[in-house]
Amino acid sequence: MSKPNPRLIKMKEYTEKIREIAKRLLNDGIVDMVIGFRKGTLPMMNQPHIATCTDSADELMWDSNCGLNLANYVTDRKEKIGIVAKGCDSRNLVTHVIENKIKRDQLYIIGIPCSGMIDHHKITAMFDTDITSVKESGESITISGNDFSKKLIKQDVLCENCAACTHRNPVEYDELVADLVEEQTDVDPYESVTEIESMDAEEKWNYFEDLISPCIRCYACRNACPLCYCPTCFVDESTPQWVGKSQDPIDVRTFHLLRAFHCAGRCTDCGACERVCPMGIKIREFTKKLNKDCLELYGWEAGLSLDERPPLDTFKTDDPDEFIK
Amino acid sequence: MKNFLEHTGIEPGRLHFSWISSAESTKFVDVVKKITHEVKMLDPANKRYVKTEPKVD
Amino acid sequence: MKLIKIDQQNWNTGIEKAKSAYRVFGPVKEKNDYEFKVLGTNEMPDLNFRNTRLSPKSIIYPQSQVMFTYSIDETKDDCRIMKEVENVTSPMAIIGVRPCDALSFPIVRRNFDTPEYQDTYWIKAYEATTFVGLACNSACDTCFCTSAGTGPFGEKGLDVLIIKDGDDFYTKIITPKGEAFAESAGWGKKEQTDITAKIKELKTAAEASVSSTVSTDKLKNKTILDLYDAPFWEEEAFACINCGTCTYVCPTCWCFDVQDETHGKSGIRMRNWDSCMFPLFTHHASGHNPRNNKHERVRQRFMHKLKYYVDKYDSGIQCVGCGRCIRLCPVNIDIRKICDKMNNFDTESCKCEATSS
Repeated sequence: MSKPNPRLIKMKEYTEKIREIAKRLLNDGIVDMVIGFRKGTLPMMNQPHIATCTDSADELMWDSNCGLNLANYVTDRKEKIGIVAKGCDSRNLVTHVIENKIKRDQLYIIGIPCSGMIDHHKITAMFDTDITSVKESGESITISGNDFSKKLIKQDVLCENCAACTHRNPVEYDELVADLVEEQTDVDPYESVTEIESMDAEEKWNYFEDLISPCIRCYACRNACPLCYCPTCFVDESTPQWVGKSQDPIDVRTFHLLRAFHCAGRCTDCGACERVCPMGIKIREFTKKLNKDCLELYGWEAGLSLDERPPLDTFKTDDPDEFIK
Repeated sequence: MKNFLEHTGIEPGRLHFSWISSAESTKFVDVVKKITHEVKMLDPANKRYVKTEPKVD
Repeated sequence: MKLIKIDQQNWNTGIEKAKSAYRVFGPVKEKNDYEFKVLGTNEMPDLNFRNTRLSPKSIIYPQSQVMFTYSIDETKDDCRIMKEVENVTSPMAIIGVRPCDALSFPIVRRNFDTPEYQDTYWIKAYEATTFVGLACNSACDTCFCTSAGTGPFGEKGLDVLIIKDGDDFYTKIITPKGEAFAESAGWGKKEQTDITAKIKELKTAAEASVSSTVSTDKLKNKTILDLYDAPFWEEEAFACINCGTCTYVCPTCWCFDVQDETHGKSGIRMRNWDSCMFPLFTHHASGHNPRNNKHERVRQRFMHKLKYYVDKYDSGIQCVGCGRCIRLCPVNIDIRKICDKMNNFDTESCKCEATSS
């Protein structure tokens, strides 16, 4: 567990600054729209929101429930877009630019130094009755229901990827809403990967079979991922059809395996896929392994620089090759 | 890819990579023989890996 | 309609007895949440749940269902002959169906059992099933059943309604199917009317606990095109990621896709749940897609649930207020908000300009 950031992050300040910037950008005609979040109708849920005038810009807000990756909403757009981006989101925007899904000069990136998002699945599972309100205050979060109120430490209920994040500050931005935060150093994002690596083949197979058994093929994980932008996804192809659409376990596994592989070298571990899964599947187990391998084999982490091409895109003479005879 | 498939439970020894040019016919034969032998040593790729008809209850 | 009182002991032995005549389904805690599963020997329905994550529609109408089998072996006599699969092998009983989910079955029946067309798989499964409901003593924040044509003690779609009060099970037997179930469970035949007052008390408290309401009174009188052309669709649809979550967890959604899968010399024709949220849902063979844009698909879903169904069947909205789509939508698109917007939409007063998507 890393040390909490000494400077308290005030969500209210972030919200006000985002609104101020958004209104300025819209009024000065620098952007056609600003994409951010607005308050949701449930505790711990916010809704991605598009603001095109001052009134709708006043709905923009920020708190520790803004875990979705907004880079997902800019793919192939033609307008000038102001976009609110935390560390992981900014890395996905960089990847988008590198992959020609948006031009850098179309974007005005409103950078959010992030202290982590809270895991609403985890928190909801802690209580038997409805949660009616969730209030943040510095390092703590107070969860209240009709007949209970509990104070939790924010650090303890962060999403798994946020708890081990080493890129909390945006890597590319046009304006920041607050000072940069300290990056975490003493964290291991690949703890569970190491655990699985020590299992034998049978155990590994069963682990993953069990992991994806609740999958209902809703494709929320794919659709929430900014990297998944193929005009027709491989699972939707029909001439020829590569993967079955039913609940057959081999088809379900093929979808997850192959989708993760399509994200190899590009995934920023933003956690949107896990956040959106209606069945609570820890779907990052697939991409975490790929990210670990990319780091170990190529020294690569996705989306850190607009000028570097990903390793699966290029060839260097010192690429590891003991696997190929 | 190899690491990833093995990570999800496909036994090492099922996936092999080799650079063979069309002029290296001897190497091709050797590699195919070797792979066939190695894969045969493993259990049959049972219904776990190979889809036949969809298994839906 | 008969009222009996069962204690915990008789409940347990009754459920176990019923298993010899029915395939009994009940809520069971799985790793992340409750689901309806077949109850094995000595396995009891866990009634400490609020509601299951997925609706019980999958018991009557599974997500992937084999409808026919066939052989393409030219040497066989039955080559290329589709053989219907028997999908119902025994009577079924679902214990612990909440009144919202129970109402969904008569709603869906309107689609699958019509004078012109009958979906034999759905109908067979439905008719073989006895619905033993569990009343809700208190509502969740996302429940709005009272706005959707039923209530926490609603009986529509149920054969039996159980009202749990501590270790007592007040049991209302509503239909002959319910009667048959009670008999196979060996539950008392003695009517008990002295609990009527207690039930009324619990019911009033339960109905008062439904805090979420939605206005639906003006939907029928709205002109379809006014709602269709309303400017709020693009803004409301912006966040949608077009996954299938809402449609798959919804007890009243019924769309499916039929496919053949052949392996070697034999194959099956099956159906899988499909979702109008998927971009390819309305993709024509010509290549044209009338709902190519996201906001068109989002609009279609809410128009279907809250307008087209209302107009076609004059039986209220195609929604039972279970709240699953609200809790599980990854981007917090809330049907209550949209229903209110549609119900109160007035062509005279338009708001902020819609953006292009």
